[in-house]
Amino acid sequence: MKLIDSIKKDFNTMTLVLIPVAIAINVVIGQIVVLLRLPVYLDSIGTVLVGAICGPWAGALTGTLSNIIWGLLIDPNAFPWFPVALFIGFVSGWCAHFGLFRTWWGVVITGFLVAITAALVSTPIAVYLYGGITASGSSFITAFLLQTGRDLVSAVLSTNFLVEPVDKIATALLAYAIIRGLSRRYLMRFPRADNVMPKKA
Amino acid sequence: MAERLSFYLERNSPLHRLNPTTKLVVAFTLILVAFLGRGLFLPSLLFLLILLPLSFVGQVGREFLRTTLNLLLPLFAFLFVMQSLFYPGGKTVLFGFWIFAVKLEGVRFAFLTATRVLVMVSSFLLLLLTTHPGVLLLDLTQRGLPASVAYILASTLQIIPQMQAKAATILDAQRSRGLDTSGSLGRRIRALLPLVGPLVFGSLVDVEERAIAIEARGFRSSGPKTSLIEIEDRPLERALRWLCLLALILAVGSWWLWP
Amino acid sequence: MAVIEIQHLTYTYPTMDHPALREVSLAVEAGEFVAIIGPNGAGKSTLCYTLAGFIPHFFKGELRGEVRVAGQDIRRVRLEDWVLKVGLVFQNPFNQISGAKFTVYEEIAFGLENIGVPREEMRRRVEEVMALTGITDLANRSPYALSGGQQQRVALASILVMQPEVLVLDEPTSQLDPIGSREVFQVIRRLAHQGVTIIMAEHKVEWIAEYADRVIALADGEMIASGKPAEVLTDPRLPEYGIGISRYTAVARRAAEEGLWPPQRRLPVTLDEAVAGFRAVEEAYAHTR
Repeated sequence: MKLIDSIKKDFNTMTLVLIPVAIAINVVIGQIVVLLRLPVYLDSIGTVLVGAICGPWAGALTGTLSNIIWGLLIDPNAFPWFPVALFIGFVSGWCAHFGLFRTWWGVVITGFLVAITAALVSTPIAVYLYGGITASGSSFITAFLLQTGRDLVSAVLSTNFLVEPVDKIATALLAYAIIRGLSRRYLMRFPRADNVMPKKA
Repeated sequence: MAERLSFYLERNSPLHRLNPTTKLVVAFTLILVAFLGRGLFLPSLLFLLILLPLSFVGQVGREFLRTTLNLLLPLFAFLFVMQSLFYPGGKTVLFGFWIFAVKLEGVRFAFLTATRVLVMVSSFLLLLLTTHPGVLLLDLTQRGLPASVAYILASTLQIIPQMQAKAATILDAQRSRGLDTSGSLGRRIRALLPLVGPLVFGSLVDVEERAIAIEARGFRSSGPKTSLIEIEDRPLERALRWLCLLALILAVGSWWLWP
Repeated sequence: MAVIEIQHLTYTYPTMDHPALREVSLAVEAGEFVAIIGPNGAGKSTLCYTLAGFIPHFFKGELRGEVRVAGQDIRRVRLEDWVLKVGLVFQNPFNQISGAKFTVYEEIAFGLENIGVPREEMRRRVEEVMALTGITDLANRSPYALSGGQQQRVALASILVMQPEVLVLDEPTSQLDPIGSREVFQVIRRLAHQGVTIIMAEHKVEWIAEYADRVIALADGEMIASGKPAEVLTDPRLPEYGIGISRYTAVARRAAEEGLWPPQRRLPVTLDEAVAGFRAVEEAYAHTR
């Protein structure tokens, strides 16, 4: 189908009402995780959820707006990172389209792909903004790699590849757990419910 | 957890009375000039000579400083340490201790990076401190922001405090039932699920009724929409916005104008 | 011509295998106040959603029979146009707040903005409807900082401001405390007096007895009774179907078993009727002494 139709299909009224709830889930769980001092972010569960059952465009919008809300409410440092959130939503929707949200191992693969995308997209942002070093534990790894003679870009890239997967796989699995907990009747109200329903014989 | 609508503080200042788009344009101009302009001290001058005084004009000076410090001090400390010590291509050693050496190029880079980020964060912060999100959304919608995006942003801002309150309630209830939220990592991970479950499913269930409710209010109506409130825009502010564009062009052009 | 005409309505939800409504037929004249009673799962909400157009347009599923409001066929009109004719208020006050607006005044105007009403008329209508629902003093409050009863009145105002021909209320007070319920019923009573066509699904039988012109009883998707409140609410079959009856009816029924209710007199549904009946019994006894 044409691009504009593909985009429109993602957005029925249920999608529009789900997105604010998904963003709120992102923010509140993201804050709970900080409260519990867990070594992950888990601030994209809602984004992945929307991507899976409403489609990649809805996922992309959710990620972008979620990032803006985070910047509005908690920390404006977040704003430049919106492309990362955008791609998290988009890739989740894309993977779901190819049936990866029908099994738990498909979801693990999705998480991994999302992590790779996040690493790829966040690297140029980190390099431009902070010279490749951000205030997370991974920076020590960056520093180590820099000392051993690598250049800035590849050092940051390798670092991001190490830390992201755990968080994103956990995120995808939690989104999957949520979807599995929803009734079939409820899921069918969303545009891409067939992404997550078992294939009919 | 903070239960507020945003950073917005209600004051009766000249900044508060400005059109939201003007403030948005000024913020972006400052940020772009800081990142694209020339000069090691340009970003810091922008902060000290423009942003900081403006925050006092906006009667939010104290909160501005306090929040900026809170948001950035940890990041800056970290950046400085990392970049001073590990900046690739640094040759001029200022001083050394043990196996580490602090290089001038690193310190310079850290300073530039840090002050650029300072301008970015504080520009947005000043915008947020002096602009009510509802007013900003109304103005942007007037200028073409799709109604669905405005709906999503407004709706999210209003339901987050509700969900935070619900989370606090669930947290208390679980704690009184013996849930351990401190302690070993394993315990803390296991504390997550009984919190997340009720919170998430409770809010998802409401989505269907809320969708029916906004349809009942004609939200999906295809005709032209009208607006109850019009946000004021003055010619003076329009001129100011064009001036910002000029400033941006000059800043970028400075790379060619001064060899 | 009746404002609402429903003939042989049979509807099945998409994932269900049996119909939620079976051969329901109903005609409602302009200005009538029709109450729908029935146990949970009887199809009250389904009927409300159908009148409001969400069935079939939002819920999909299989709809058979005819549903017309003001002469227009529900199948031929888009949902976005149908909601202008039939307004819907349902149980949960919180879910009816759009979230799009930060003050009650703007929240009420939201529907009018969506359908393109000019600004001056918007203001006039909003202020009128706020006075009608008694929430003028809440105009600048956040819709989320209100009590359940206040929120439900905002929801009512937000729908009424769009001037629908029919108002459908699906158990509007079941999630409210007694004060909130009273506030909402006061508004509904005012609307009924003004001649608004109202369809209301409700459990509080005593209230229906006072204000409804007609009562319809649903059970298992079928209409098992339809008529004046006094008839339907004293129908002996109601308890079989799990439909609660009013306290006054229950007391009088028990009294009748003991011979303490006038034999030929119909059972009461309101306090006044009960008092009148017991007074008649008292007089009868006084005569026999």
